[in-house]
Amino acid sequence: MEQAIEVKNLQKSYGDVHAVRGIDFEVAPGEVFGLLGPNGAGKTTTVEILEGLRPRSAGDVKVLGRDPGIEVKALKDRIGVCLQSTNLPDKITVREALALFQSFYSRSTDIDTLIDRLQLSEKRHAYYQTLSGGQKQRVALALALVNDPQLVFLDEPTTGLDPQVRLEIHSLISELRDAKRTILITTHYIEEAERLCDRVAIVDQGKIIALGTPREIQARTLGTSRVEIHTAQPMPADVPNFEEAEKFTMSEDRKVLNVYSARPARTLPDLVKWIDQNGIDLEDIHLKRPTLEDVFIELTGKRLRD
Amino acid sequence: MRAYITQIRTNLRLTMRDRTMLFFNYMFPLVFFFIFGFMMHAEQGGAIVGIVNMVLVIGILGGGFFGAGMRTVMDREANILRRFKVAPITAGPILVSQMVVGLVHFIPVTVLVLVLAHFVYGMPPLEHPGSLFVFVLIGVLAFRAMGGIIGAVANSMQESQIIIQLLYFPMLFLGGATFPIAIMPNWLQIVAQFIPTTYLTTGITSILEGHETIWNNLAPAGALLLTAAVGTFLALKLFRWEKEEKMRTSAKLWLIAVLAPFIAMGAWQAYSKDNLVKGKMLAREMSRTRTLLIRDARLFLGDGNVIEQGAVLIKDGKIAEIYTGAAPDAKTVKAEALDAAGKTLMPGLIDVHVHLGSPGGFYGSGDEYEVPAKAFPRELAAYLYSGVTAVKSVGDGLDEVLKAREAEASGEKLGAELFVVGPLFTAPGGHGTEYSKNIPEIARGNFDAQFLRLPKTPDEAKTMVAELAKRHVDGIKTILEAGSPAYPFVRMDPALVKAIAEEAHKFKLPVVCHTGNSRDVEDAVNAGVDGIEHGSMTDVIPEALFARMKQAGITFDPTLDVVEAFTMLAQGKFDMLDRTLVQQVGPKKLLDSTRKFLQSPDGEKMRAGLAKYPVSMAICNQNLLAAMRAGVTLVTGTDAGNPTIFHGPGVHRELQLWIEAGIPASVALQAATFNGAQLLRASDRMGLIKKGYQANLLLVDGNPLKDISVTERISMVMLKGERIDRSDLFDQH
Repeated sequence: MEQAIEVKNLQKSYGDVHAVRGIDFEVAPGEVFGLLGPNGAGKTTTVEILEGLRPRSAGDVKVLGRDPGIEVKALKDRIGVCLQSTNLPDKITVREALALFQSFYSRSTDIDTLIDRLQLSEKRHAYYQTLSGGQKQRVALALALVNDPQLVFLDEPTTGLDPQVRLEIHSLISELRDAKRTILITTHYIEEAERLCDRVAIVDQGKIIALGTPREIQARTLGTSRVEIHTAQPMPADVPNFEEAEKFTMSEDRKVLNVYSARPARTLPDLVKWIDQNGIDLEDIHLKRPTLEDVFIELTGKRLRD
Repeated sequence: MRAYITQIRTNLRLTMRDRTMLFFNYMFPLVFFFIFGFMMHAEQGGAIVGIVNMVLVIGILGGGFFGAGMRTVMDREANILRRFKVAPITAGPILVSQMVVGLVHFIPVTVLVLVLAHFVYGMPPLEHPGSLFVFVLIGVLAFRAMGGIIGAVANSMQESQIIIQLLYFPMLFLGGATFPIAIMPNWLQIVAQFIPTTYLTTGITSILEGHETIWNNLAPAGALLLTAAVGTFLALKLFRWEKEEKMRTSAKLWLIAVLAPFIAMGAWQAYSKDNLVKGKMLAREMSRTRTLLIRDARLFLGDGNVIEQGAVLIKDGKIAEIYTGAAPDAKTVKAEALDAAGKTLMPGLIDVHVHLGSPGGFYGSGDEYEVPAKAFPRELAAYLYSGVTAVKSVGDGLDEVLKAREAEASGEKLGAELFVVGPLFTAPGGHGTEYSKNIPEIARGNFDAQFLRLPKTPDEAKTMVAELAKRHVDGIKTILEAGSPAYPFVRMDPALVKAIAEEAHKFKLPVVCHTGNSRDVEDAVNAGVDGIEHGSMTDVIPEALFARMKQAGITFDPTLDVVEAFTMLAQGKFDMLDRTLVQQVGPKKLLDSTRKFLQSPDGEKMRAGLAKYPVSMAICNQNLLAAMRAGVTLVTGTDAGNPTIFHGPGVHRELQLWIEAGIPASVALQAATFNGAQLLRASDRMGLIKKGYQANLLLVDGNPLKDISVTERISMVMLKGERIDRSDLFDQH
């Protein structure tokens, strides 16, 4: 079966700045694919090339079987896009906005059903300027769906929204996934990627540094859990090799210690014993399963969000 | 297509909800309309066309620059355009819908302003509403296209504001919308020709004033359309959806491409000055529509009747009403009031005998004489300055005098209304031919062609008359004079005069005849001329001949001015140079050099020559009195252009000489007004204070019926309803 998106060795430079340095991935029909990475990693550039908004410098790209650098208009007509931080005129109503955008496409869906599905029924005739942040984002999602697209691009769909609203948006995206639409999400929220995506590509500095299902990526790394302890007094600098421990990191004030271990049940008693021996009061202790964030830190040495 | 329609419909709805837009589009022009209407007393006429034009131009400019230009930048900065970018559309629907919406909103404004102008300020109904709407719509498109370019090339709100202010203010203030271009210094008038609003203003004003349609304004309409097309095309090409996509600074040069049609127009105008002239004419037209009530004046009506206390209402360039006794309230007749107690209002004076081709004085050297294109308008201005609102050139170069008549008639130049005969009909070697003797041989042929007609046969004479009639001369002038022993002239065959008169009458052209003595007068009368110029300065004209003139309705113009001037010069008297109006109309340089010349050896020689010319004021006076007694229609001519008869004030001296001769003031003043108009065949529109007549008026301090010198104490001159700013008259040259 033909892939919804095929990207081979995609590159994009702005003068001397290489925003995308050779990216390869494929998205299968019906798949929810995530591009995860920090700001400036090249995610948005990548999707904008796929959406036909920007020309690429090199590489082969096929979206719904079309080259977005050539068949821009036909492509735009068939995809749905929810861009970061777009706006609508203050005094346009939700329904008017949907009707206006619907008139641009050759395919259409029933606007009122769409409004109901996105829980905007009460705001149908409200001016855009009166909507809350979450409502505006739901309108943006609705606009991405007015042409009943098979492929939807969601660029940072929840950035800047409060957690409650983010959950609402997540459930909407889940619905889309259940409706078998192909979705490409870019995000720098780990949970979002873990929760929503079938597969994730981790992007950093214009390259994909890991690709697979969230579970695969977690497994492909060391698969270590992390034991994090907080102490009242500083710990000695000479940390011994605890049982099964692979490595550790210590905070500067030596009151927080992270120990990575494939078998934390063995490591933990050893660690607590060492604290006791040094006469230090244990204040808190966490055991954390590995996350994509950890994978990211492990791969790049930096956090996703600074 | 669906995208266009939905976009237009949505934009219309959005603009209807936008209070700022509604204010600037609808309220703002109306605020201007009423403020300026109130300030400029638009109900008194003269201003309303200018105000309507200003309001429309402000609306078009605002809509274009702020409505289209800034709006695009704002939508881009607010990330609204970005949302449209992902849809499968071009910038087309966005730009086109902006234009359509701009047009749709401007139509009610235009209608509203026109309706208010009519009902509140009495602007006459539009003669060509279709033309006005088409032109205004083209204007809206052009300025919206310019706005589109600004929207495309400005990288931020701040930048767009700078660009808009840089364009908005010159376009508002230099394009004639706020200050008429006609009042600007010359260099600025040229600058204005490079500014699109200048053409917007010329087009709108000329159509509003009623004589023109869109077809008379094809050049400005074309330039505006071209700007609209180029601007829209470039706006589409340069359209940017996102604020992050910046334009190179050099992209702002595209603005020049949009303004290119006007750079071309300006360059052309700097050379041809057509539009400049048109602007002046339109401004003149406007100042001729003021409503004025001159009250409590003595009214000398022109036909000899006097109203001791009365008032005259002037409206749209015409005499609208005459009141006996107390005037109505100025407010109720929507007029500006002019109190004229102790003053006398009469029709503007008429001089039926002038030669514009010579200045009436002597310059130090030949090259100081101005070319006709400069001299004639200045001379006509000097007449107007002196309260003379119509003059007849009886012998001047045809082409130049027709040009001067056109410049005055169109309103391009402000001066007395000119009537022309063009060349003189005389015999080879006859009077008139002596003037070209001083001209270099090489130029003599052309001079004679312009200045003389020397028919040998009656048929030739008729052909010549018919040809002149085709040039739309106002009359024909013939010469019948044998001269004097010292200055013998070949006298034209009276049979030729007869042929000339017959042919001229076919074209309804009056024929006047220069005569030297009573024999000439008799022959001229026999030949069937319509007016006798000079009569006889050397012998007495028999009363029976005057009786025949009276019967045939032939006018008599004694030209006492030239008799006096020749007599004084022969006697070595130069005090005519010191007369106050002569001093005022100058030019000073001419007066100074004339005084110098008269005292020089050359001047002596000239004066000695004049002394040999046997003219007698006593005989002239006798003839004039006889003519009056016979009931001949008397007219006043000055023969200005002859030595020391300067253009302008001659009629005043002529009137004084008539009174000295024993003519009653009332008769003399009628000769200088209504009778003159009759000879000019214009007595159906000038020469009288009468309802519906052209408002050509002279207001003087005092009562000229008691003291004729009062006519020189000029309080106001009005031509075609315009109160002449006499102090400014000579600045136009």
